[in-house]
Amino acid sequence: MDRRSFIKLTAVSGTTAALASCGNPEHQLIRFVPDEDIVPGQAVWKPSVCPLCPSACGLTVRVMGAEADVVRNGKAGVVQILAAKKLEGNPEHPVNHGGLCARGQAAIQVTYHPDRIAQPLKRTGNRGVGSYEAITWDAAIAEVVAKLNEIAASGKAGSLAFFGRSGSSYRNALIGEFLARFGAPAPMSYDLFGDDVLRRANAVSFGVAQLPTFDFAQSRYVLNFGSDFLGTWNAPVSQSRAYGDMRQGRRGVRGHFVHVDSRLSQTGASADEWVPIRPGTEGVLALGIAHVVIRDKVRPAVADRATAAIAGWKDGLPDYAPERVEEMTGVKANRVERLAREFAGGPSVLPQVRTQPGVAVIGGTALAHTNGLFNALAINALNALVGSVGVPGGLAFTPQLDILAAAKMTGRPTPAASLRQWAADALSSASSVQALLVDGVNPVFTAPRAWKLRDALAKVPFIVSFGSFLDETSVMADLILPDHSFLESFTGAVPESGSAMAVVSAAGPVMKPLHQTRATTDVLLDVGRQLEKPIELPWQTFEEMLTASFAALPAMTEGSDAWTDAQEKGGWWGEIPAAVRLKPDTASPVRLKADTTSVVSGLSRTQPEFDGDAAQYPFHFLPYPSNQFLDGSTAHLPWLQEMPDPLTSAMWSSWVEINPATAAKLGIAQGDVVDVTSAHGTVQTAAFLSPGIAPDVLAMPAGQGHTTFTRYASGRGANPVDLLAPVTEESTGAVAWAATRVKIARVGDGDGRLILFAGEFREHQEHGR
Amino acid sequence: MFTTARAGFSDALNDFIGRHPNKPEQPVEFPHKTHYAKKIACTEYCHEAVVSGPVAGLPSVRTCMVCHNAIATDRPRIKQITAMRDRGEDFVWRRVFNYTPQAHVKFNHAPHIRAKVNCTTCHGPIHEGTVAQRNVDMNMGFCVNCHNERKAPVDCLTCHF
Repeated sequence: MDRRSFIKLTAVSGTTAALASCGNPEHQLIRFVPDEDIVPGQAVWKPSVCPLCPSACGLTVRVMGAEADVVRNGKAGVVQILAAKKLEGNPEHPVNHGGLCARGQAAIQVTYHPDRIAQPLKRTGNRGVGSYEAITWDAAIAEVVAKLNEIAASGKAGSLAFFGRSGSSYRNALIGEFLARFGAPAPMSYDLFGDDVLRRANAVSFGVAQLPTFDFAQSRYVLNFGSDFLGTWNAPVSQSRAYGDMRQGRRGVRGHFVHVDSRLSQTGASADEWVPIRPGTEGVLALGIAHVVIRDKVRPAVADRATAAIAGWKDGLPDYAPERVEEMTGVKANRVERLAREFAGGPSVLPQVRTQPGVAVIGGTALAHTNGLFNALAINALNALVGSVGVPGGLAFTPQLDILAAAKMTGRPTPAASLRQWAADALSSASSVQALLVDGVNPVFTAPRAWKLRDALAKVPFIVSFGSFLDETSVMADLILPDHSFLESFTGAVPESGSAMAVVSAAGPVMKPLHQTRATTDVLLDVGRQLEKPIELPWQTFEEMLTASFAALPAMTEGSDAWTDAQEKGGWWGEIPAAVRLKPDTASPVRLKADTTSVVSGLSRTQPEFDGDAAQYPFHFLPYPSNQFLDGSTAHLPWLQEMPDPLTSAMWSSWVEINPATAAKLGIAQGDVVDVTSAHGTVQTAAFLSPGIAPDVLAMPAGQGHTTFTRYASGRGANPVDLLAPVTEESTGAVAWAATRVKIARVGDGDGRLILFAGEFREHQEHGR
Repeated sequence: MFTTARAGFSDALNDFIGRHPNKPEQPVEFPHKTHYAKKIACTEYCHEAVVSGPVAGLPSVRTCMVCHNAIATDRPRIKQITAMRDRGEDFVWRRVFNYTPQAHVKFNHAPHIRAKVNCTTCHGPIHEGTVAQRNVDMNMGFCVNCHNERKAPVDCLTCHF
């Protein structure tokens, strides 16, 4: 060793000796033996189904080894598990073709949410307080069984109510069968932003009570009445993809897109042209366009045939001349004429641009009026007039699997009352409601306050919730029997739209349950078996039901069977055998039923009606499903709270959109705290100045304003539902959520409740310089 | 000698004097040589992930019990493992071979196995000892020399990505 090294060595060893004593003692947790074979560092992709909206997009889930904290034998430790790490769209799935929206991406947080209910709970405090104690599954199921036995013994099986999820799924089929065999009415499903009005209109127009699927990819002209089809409406991922193809997927062809709405939504912001319209008069504009098409014979070949088919249109809709339409809708007469010529695509109109095939879309706000059915029927008839029904580039209907037939179910439950009717019954003194089961839905948050749903729940003697989170409805429950997350359970749903061919989205669990939860479907089967008068369903588990039901479908690959294929691919798609196809046969060409527009001309309710006196409440109130939270069901996911709204860039907050000119008149500045008041309530929120809204309209996103819905959503923002008038569309009973009038008053300066990602919204000011 | 590639003074010192004391105490004193003598390949049961992915993987109690449920059940160490299995507990293996985070090296076992690099090239004569010991100095020169010899890529991004 030379001198230099010796000096280095002395210096280093001295320092090392001094530092060695400050090392970290190793914290050693107990490691438990894993339950499954895990290859470290290797990701496996497994299919699943997105649960957040009824479009039932296919997922592919990255599953890898991970460490989980567990307590075993009273000792805390860690164990290796296979855990879902990332969700992506399933590239093979015919609805989303590999795409996935931001909400779907965030769905993984449902499974790992820190406030997820981890074991059965029994209420200890008063209802609505949210104090619960943990109980065992055996005790919890015994309690449900005892209550159901009591109801059955008293001969009042009909007094068992069920709040279920909407959409067609194996889960809902099993629940329906359970209730039917018990003697209870079918599950009630309530969606604030549900499209029952359009289903009803399609049943009248085309004989199919279903939401349409649009072939945007081959359209050249889209005339959209109020729907947010790129954001939240119908099957947004499927539609966004097709829309991309319409604009950029064809060489030399860029489809034209016109948006008709009183608010410039995210979808409207993508349009070539925005046509602001007086709320609720969309149907009138559609008939005005039809008037011009017939009068000028813009598209004579198709139009002649259609006018003959549409009763009452032979004389060319004289009540809807452009000048009249201008009076009613606020859309200039010459603009109506131009839109008609463009939409019908007559050769003389745009010589260098073909606009056929074109399609008109209706959804969202245009349906949410007292005359929603009229609007929808008018637009259906307009589509028929220009021949865009059942053709490439037009609208069609996805063939549907009849789950009840596929599962060979026999029970036909008595139809459920509407939620509103049920709440009224439960509140009446002669109430017979004995028990209520809630399947992870939250109608207390989304139903108009005038329905007094919360008070109705308070009067129900026994409420069981299968929810995973303590939301405004679950907090009223006496027992909470938490369901698995979608990643931990078998799933199966039939997408209503978004694909030209028939699809069943289905998958097995991608990971083992993290908590002491049980699949609700299996719990119901278990309860059924334990009843004094047992409900003997032909399957022991939900998995057996899926296996048995898929036997009705042909295999997708040779030498396999449909259920094996579905578990591998994340679903089944193809030609449905006639025996299990939902009637009417939606695969055959869709045709306008002859009597359709006798309905339009004969319909009494062509004009929208609004709740509230126009002098006292000068503004139309337009709540809309939030891009992040829809109706509020995803507000508990922090990624979505963190996600800036695409138009306002607001996050973690709620706001009311107001036209800058109106705001200036009222002395309201960006971010100011305002009171928005209807005849039914007041909410306090921040003002957001947006040029993309008509001067007499105030818009507010739904989703925030939860009182109890996990640490991320509770006490955040305001809920526009608090203002809604209990006005409904007559024929369907659907809430006319855009039919409330409000007033607005400034309360004070902004207090930081409006959090914007992108700072100030200056465009409208800069244009005016 | 004081480069960022070393975690601390003690590492630098050990490196300087050519000492490789990285022989952490393991939950079980696993005799590699006994298993090697029984002709059980490294990749067969215990480190099976080595052929397919970046990490070799360390065996869980389950893996041991595949054989030791029946074999050599009377030995004290096997009894120790059986008792752990019965309690549902697993090994807390201590890491022997690793790069410091500051080195920004990503290593993937699988391509090395495919290139038929012997385990002992990097891990030393583990098959002759009991508990794993870090008896090879894995620094950048060690990797690059071998890559040069075997005409493997020496692009920076091969390992530093």
